[in-house]
Amino acid sequence: MLNENKEVMLEVKNIFKNFGDLEVLKGVSTEVDKGEVISIIGASGSGKSTLLRCMNLLEEPTFGEVWIEGKLMTPVDPYLHYDVIKASNTYKKLAAEGMDEVDAIMKIKKEDLLQEKSGKEGSEYKSLMDKIYKENHIDTNLGRRKMSMVFQQFNLFNNLTVLENIMLAPVETAKYNKVKDLNGEKAKIREQAFTLLKRIGLEDKADVYPSKLSGGQKQRIAIVRSLAMNPDVMLFDEPTSALDPEMIGEVLDLMKELAQAGMTMVIVTHEMGFAREVSDRVLFVDEGYIKEEGTPEEVFDHPKDPRLQDFLSKVL
Amino acid sequence: MTMGSIFHDMWDIFVEYYIGQGLLWTGIGYTLALSAIAVFFGAILGALLAIGKMSRFKALRFIITAFIEIMRGTPALLQLYIAYFIVPMLLTNLNPTPIACVAIGLMLNSAAYVSEIIRSGIDAVDKGQTEAARALGLTARTTMVKVVMPQAIKNILPALGNEFITIIKETSLASNFFVGELMTTYAVIKGVTFNPIPTLMDIGIIYFVMTFTLSKLMGIAERRMKASA
Repeated sequence: MLNENKEVMLEVKNIFKNFGDLEVLKGVSTEVDKGEVISIIGASGSGKSTLLRCMNLLEEPTFGEVWIEGKLMTPVDPYLHYDVIKASNTYKKLAAEGMDEVDAIMKIKKEDLLQEKSGKEGSEYKSLMDKIYKENHIDTNLGRRKMSMVFQQFNLFNNLTVLENIMLAPVETAKYNKVKDLNGEKAKIREQAFTLLKRIGLEDKADVYPSKLSGGQKQRIAIVRSLAMNPDVMLFDEPTSALDPEMIGEVLDLMKELAQAGMTMVIVTHEMGFAREVSDRVLFVDEGYIKEEGTPEEVFDHPKDPRLQDFLSKVL
Repeated sequence: MTMGSIFHDMWDIFVEYYIGQGLLWTGIGYTLALSAIAVFFGAILGALLAIGKMSRFKALRFIITAFIEIMRGTPALLQLYIAYFIVPMLLTNLNPTPIACVAIGLMLNSAAYVSEIIRSGIDAVDKGQTEAARALGLTARTTMVKVVMPQAIKNILPALGNEFITIIKETSLASNFFVGELMTTYAVIKGVTFNPIPTLMDIGIIYFVMTFTLSKLMGIAERRMKASA
């Protein structure tokens, strides 16, 4: 990896996610650099899939920011910015009373902060924050087109053939962008789709419906469907967990190929051997936090966190 | 009265009134026309209700939900009576005929059921399909049109066929207003022959032949649709 001039592709800041009363993520921050391959490991229910799904806003974070290539995807109320809250007197007061950080951040409402900055000072501050927000904001759909996702259950469109599955998003994107020569563009997309299918040796399946494919074929096509969007980042949500053992290899091989070609990847996985082999960095998510992160050697060979040691002793 | 004589009378009444006076064709004609109008416009209105129910406007969702629950929670006969009296008051200029009022009543009733059919048809499409489409950056609208609806249609059409059969049977309620559909022939023939049982049995057979034929035709269509997918 050529990381001399590091370029941040994806960044999550202070991500909190609640499902009702259940706090799944309690303030997670991390960066994904260009060309970096990151594996997220952790027990079931630790929040690792939720973290991945927050990255493309399939789950909207209850609190926090997602940045893609320097653009903000999450709608953030300027008054409820993490740094603003932490700097506020209301927070300091709650903290002095001994309230937990997570609870305090969740408890503080816009009104509390508005009271602190009254009148002109408050409205000036708000318009400044609105301006900063507008300058940095990117539409969710535009952001998602920069990072595609591969799912555990493949989620190929059942009503479309393999070729149509791959072509749908690029063609619709061309329509959104009001491309002048749509037919020419379609022909190009079609050609690219065939090139991708050839790459995985499934060009003979172009006109087949997903129900006629094996799990391994479905997942490889799902990966290729993501690639057809020419994404800058690829998110993988347990891509091999729903596969029969004999089909895991073909999917992992394709992912390795992508990693070697320099694709930026974030992978939630239970395949520890694979994570060790391809990752530049491994995140251990537990109880809603990133408990430990580091190179595969650090995480797998010299785990410091007792929960990580316990987890590894069970899965390795 | 013996069973033999009932069959005999059934035949006589069928030949004399249903064929001879053409009550069979007018009866079936009105019944099918009423059902078709109710289901066709009911489906359009039902689709609009289903879309409205997915709206982000809470007030609209509330009104639609209330309408659907009321239509499903009160007897169709009651709704037809209300339509029969209220529609002429609302549309005084158009001077609607009783059959038009009944058709509107049936249509509103059908719309409530169809909207639930559409909603559950959409709900039955795997959530992963929507997630995959949205994750690729497609808008909610494109996702609905290109991915969800084509799959939902396969759940919706068979259920819509069943709704058509249900409505065919429900049009019999329109006989309360003597609009001329199949069940109205009962009152007409009974008034002349004073022989209710064979008349009712004739009507039952005609309804059954209609619904059974339709359900078989729909079965064939359904199998064709499955084969093409």
